[in-house]
Amino acid sequence: MFPTPIEKTSRSWQFTYQSLLPLALIMWLLPLIAVAIFSIKPAADFATGNYWGAPTSFEGLTNYMAVFTQSDMPRYLMNSFLITVPTVLGCIILSSMTGFALGVYRFKSNLLIFFMFVAGNFVPFQILMIPVRDLTLQMGLYDTKMGLVLFHIAFQTGFCTLFMRNFIRALPFELIEAARVEGIAEWRIYWFVVLPLMKPALAAMAVLVFTFIWNDYFWAVVLTQGPEAQPVTAGITSFNAQFGVAYHMLSAGSIVAALPPVAMFFLMQKHFIAGLTLGAVK
Amino acid sequence: MTGVTLSNVIKRYGETQVIHGIDLQIEDSEFCVFVGPSGCGKSTLLRMVAGLEETTEGQINIGPRDVTRLDPSDRGVAMVFQTYALYPHMSVAENMGFGLKMNGHPKAEIDQKVAAASKVLKLDDYLKRKPKALSGGQRQRVAIGRAIVRGPEVFLFDEPLSNLDAELRVEMRVEIARLHQEIGATMIYVTHDQVEAMTLADKIVVLRAGRIEQVGAPMDLYRNPDNRFVAGFIGSPAMNFLDGQITAGDVEVPGLKETVKLPVTIPSPGTQVQIGLRPEHLVMTKGDTHRVELTEALGGVSYAYLVTPTGEKIIVEERGDERSKIGDMVGLSFETDRAMLFDTQTEARIR
Repeated sequence: MFPTPIEKTSRSWQFTYQSLLPLALIMWLLPLIAVAIFSIKPAADFATGNYWGAPTSFEGLTNYMAVFTQSDMPRYLMNSFLITVPTVLGCIILSSMTGFALGVYRFKSNLLIFFMFVAGNFVPFQILMIPVRDLTLQMGLYDTKMGLVLFHIAFQTGFCTLFMRNFIRALPFELIEAARVEGIAEWRIYWFVVLPLMKPALAAMAVLVFTFIWNDYFWAVVLTQGPEAQPVTAGITSFNAQFGVAYHMLSAGSIVAALPPVAMFFLMQKHFIAGLTLGAVK
Repeated sequence: MTGVTLSNVIKRYGETQVIHGIDLQIEDSEFCVFVGPSGCGKSTLLRMVAGLEETTEGQINIGPRDVTRLDPSDRGVAMVFQTYALYPHMSVAENMGFGLKMNGHPKAEIDQKVAAASKVLKLDDYLKRKPKALSGGQRQRVAIGRAIVRGPEVFLFDEPLSNLDAELRVEMRVEIARLHQEIGATMIYVTHDQVEAMTLADKIVVLRAGRIEQVGAPMDLYRNPDNRFVAGFIGSPAMNFLDGQITAGDVEVPGLKETVKLPVTIPSPGTQVQIGLRPEHLVMTKGDTHRVELTEALGGVSYAYLVTPTGEKIIVEERGDERSKIGDMVGLSFETDRAMLFDTQTEARIR
């Protein structure tokens, strides 16, 4: 078997492995560990320069409570949800339809349109910063959640379409033909035959887009300002405001902000069932 | 119930023509089998009848209706696919009733039709299961059930048994034959397996490269093939062909080391011909012209693979208690009116 299971290697190699692995792991996770520890320290620790030592007192509860009660964090979190959820829904609805059209129907410009969706993914979005900002300003969407949502949907749908179209292509085409012979309308084929079979792809897509959008910082900063519309990634910087950086609050806020994508992943996990089409053919 | 008529049906993909003007009349409640080697266009032709492929030229009629340009759903056909194409997220009952449900039939009617179909196909115990919990044969029965519930005028089968193992294939073959007896609808069945064609068909259509080679009842094709291709395709094991030449009213066959007199119109001397002999019409005799290279004993019959003096290969069927062994030297005899003569050039039968 390759690679050789660690239990079957020599004693010395086992020892090396077992000591190096935790070390490497800790190094990798150090920034996260630091943030976690910072988030339970009292503010005084940072004033006295006790960055890396043990917390002088456990302030976890206070810090996290403060994040929710004494800052704009709840507002920002709400904004993040109000931006991310509609974006995910919009992307999935649109891309499952475009994917169906490009995957199922043969028409002249099918491949051309598909390539345009793909090519869109290769445009570095930074170069669009100024035009997009101008565009949102002109449309009166600057500093609105709606502006961010529309913009994200437009950008993510290209990638999602690529994903969906390829997934639908991999479905047995006889399923669609069988439905057609049975006289089922095309939109019903989409809704009752194709969509249920796409559940694993939709779940994967939803998690991916959710994470992308939730973690987006660039466009949040470019297109919004202030607690009116800014999502949590941008809003969290309000902790390093005029009175200096509140590291403990910043850390606690970061951890709160990081939870939804993680939760989303675990919630959706059971939907990533491979082989859902098992039994359809052969 | 209605028949199907194809008139000068042509299919082109861009410049490439794959179906070359097919004329065919399938009678009401007939079981018609399209058979031919892979790539001969039999599946394409079936899909054209189903409406899944567009017909480039010609006309397709189901009963009196011209369906050439109709959508699949308006043609009154039901199709069973080689891969079954069951909806994996629906139970057996839902699979069978889906088409009716989507077209707005009342629930009671659907339930009743599904129950009737599942009774015919012995699927009653599986109605709640998903396709993945079924065996291959059961899945194929569900696919057939899905066709039955819609009560179509014409059933179309696209190699429905190819994915099953040998034993199930025989079982399902019998099942389909029984179904045809019971329902009595017109059925068109595509297969590359000539045994399926022989056992199921009322009428066999032998196709090659997008053209009909011959149409007829199974035994007619077996006894009286029009050309070398049909002769070689129908019958298992296949007919033996030996090269020969016409000499003054006789056929000289070096592979048999003899000159044969055949009761047919002999063409002019010097014509290159092939003599066709079915394995079951050949008898081994004492002699030393042919060597037994291999024998396959199947129990009731054995097939002896012989090599002729010219290096050609012949299969001979053997019955009875005396069977040949590898390495035996034997002679061959046959009744001359069983032998068939084909022109090497045109492959046409010389009668």
